[in-house]
Amino acid sequence: MATITVPQVVPSSAEDAAALMKAFQGWGTDEKAVIAILAHRNSFQRKEIMLEYEEMYNESLIQRLQSELSGDFERAMYHWILDPMERQAVMANAATKCIQEEYKIIVEIACVNSPAELVAIKKAYHVIYKCSLEEDVAARTRGNLRSLLLALVSTYRYDGDDVDMGLAKSEAKIVHEAVRNGTTDHEELIRVVGTRSKAQLKATFSCFRDEHGTSITKALPHGTDRTGYLHALRTALRCIVDGNKYFAKVLRTATRNSGTDEDTLTRVIVVHAEKDMKDISAAFQKRASCTLQEAIAKETSGDYKSFLMALLGS
Amino acid sequence: MQHLLAQASSNSSSAASPPASASPVRLRPSPSSRRDQQHREREAPAAAMADEHQELARAFSGLGGLGVDEAAVVSAVGRWRRQPEKRAQFRRSFPGFFTASGGGGGVMERCEDEYVRQLEAEFARFKDAAVLWAMHPWERDARWAHHVLHKAHPPAVLVEVACTRAADDLLGARRAYHALYHRSLEEDVAYCVRDANAALLVGLVSAYRYEGTRVSEELAKEEAKALAAAVKSASASGAKLVQNDLVVRVLATRSKPQLRATFRIYKELNGKTLEEDFAGEPCLQEAVKCLDSPARYFGELINGAFKDGADKQAKAALTRVVVSRSEADMEEIKDAYAKQFGAKLTDAVAKNAHGHYKDALLAMIGK
Repeated sequence: MATITVPQVVPSSAEDAAALMKAFQGWGTDEKAVIAILAHRNSFQRKEIMLEYEEMYNESLIQRLQSELSGDFERAMYHWILDPMERQAVMANAATKCIQEEYKIIVEIACVNSPAELVAIKKAYHVIYKCSLEEDVAARTRGNLRSLLLALVSTYRYDGDDVDMGLAKSEAKIVHEAVRNGTTDHEELIRVVGTRSKAQLKATFSCFRDEHGTSITKALPHGTDRTGYLHALRTALRCIVDGNKYFAKVLRTATRNSGTDEDTLTRVIVVHAEKDMKDISAAFQKRASCTLQEAIAKETSGDYKSFLMALLGS
Repeated sequence: MQHLLAQASSNSSSAASPPASASPVRLRPSPSSRRDQQHREREAPAAAMADEHQELARAFSGLGGLGVDEAAVVSAVGRWRRQPEKRAQFRRSFPGFFTASGGGGGVMERCEDEYVRQLEAEFARFKDAAVLWAMHPWERDARWAHHVLHKAHPPAVLVEVACTRAADDLLGARRAYHALYHRSLEEDVAYCVRDANAALLVGLVSAYRYEGTRVSEELAKEEAKALAAAVKSASASGAKLVQNDLVVRVLATRSKPQLRATFRIYKELNGKTLEEDFAGEPCLQEAVKCLDSPARYFGELINGAFKDGADKQAKAALTRVVVSRSEADMEEIKDAYAKQFGAKLTDAVAKNAHGHYKDALLAMIGK
């Protein structure tokens, strides 16, 4: 469930565009006004506002926002105003540019979205970057990490609930074998994780747990892995098994350590605010000593904080 | 009479052009004895009948070609109504189809099992073409892919579907596969294909290529050089290129225009085409052909169906190519065919197919 709130009676996109222009004019920007409008519109409404603004004032709203705002707030607003699929395409592209550090963003996008959403993201990627996400991911990685990332990004999983329990049992064995023998022989594991439907994978992992008494993520070898493959694999498994729990953990880490990780906060909240932020919040609260909103309020400040709080529904 | 029938049988089993003895003997009024005339009158029908047997055998696809000539069969059925002896003579004149079988009192000519199987296949060609034609293209592709995987046929059809369809059509076929089989195409390919080609095939069927025209010459040059290096080191070490990470990555992810630029530069730099350098690895060669020049690939498939000794898959390719490409690049295929084989595609089809099957193919190919 989404956390953003949209007013009962929404002003027309022309009214919103005019209000935004008013907020940009004069000394400085009225950030509160910008948040009051844009943080409370869904993606369709935001698109209408952008078109209307461009029509009325002959300039791109995105570019105006980028020049009027700054810092974490600007980055968050820039991603927020984009169409949800474009937004994730932009995030994926940024991640491919420093893929050795940011591969987990690619894993998140590939594993948490539904198969149809992933296709839409890839299509948006084609339009914006004039090449495919797969080629960018594949060209900048090698070895097991490439095989895993490419499989996760290219797959178009079956989206139904059909599960073959016999197959789940046999593939749980395969997964166990692969995990037991280090990371050299992971073709089969990548095959399973990279092609099976999510329902089938959940069945396989639960067979694994029944058979070996431990969850698959805990069973992965914990050695140092400079290629990042193991970490990517662990991330993929976590995202597939329980995306909400995964993001809750990510948010806890981003808000707990000394020095808040604003980029991660932005990424998770902006992407999920109009999707399933409520469930992630609930998962956050289960394992943390406070609510997500309290944690954000404590660790962020200024307009950035106001914006995030608005997205979280406060 | 017997010697003429024996001649007819030995001539027809060679499937050559009609022998001289089958051309109708002209009846000349002869001053010679009545017995000679009677003999000659019996000769003419015998020779004409051998001709008739030829026709019927051809209609039943016994002399080569694909499909059956339904109209000719119906006409024979009508002509030989209430004349079982005529049918018996037909059976006797084709030892390839029928064998004498003694049993009980009389001699009977029974069908060879192979003949029955062959006939079933030939009669089914029109039906298959019609059913496939009516189907949505995505469902067709999904069914072909599924059939290839589960009957362990050579993977060329998978390469064909993955590399010659537009990106959204391949995606559509994958969606159809979900609906039909409750699995994804890539999971079945990954599970069923266990040989060296697995990585390439999974990569090809999973591709969702950029479809725009933007091409980076610099990137093409870089990848052409890298491919050349891979080819060189593989030929030195004997490793299989189909398992080479770089080869699979480039072929499975780059857009088609980008790949064509890469192939072009490869040839400029190395003198040989990538296809030539992939000799000995049919899966790779097919992939390159399908990505670079699908019309030529399809022309070769069609020609393969007409060859003597073409096997079941080669013949089935004719229906598949014509039905799936009739609304896509059939014009380019016709041009490529004429260029490579020196004959019009429509002429080749007319010569090598029979009956409704032939008419359906010609209708799909167009003028």
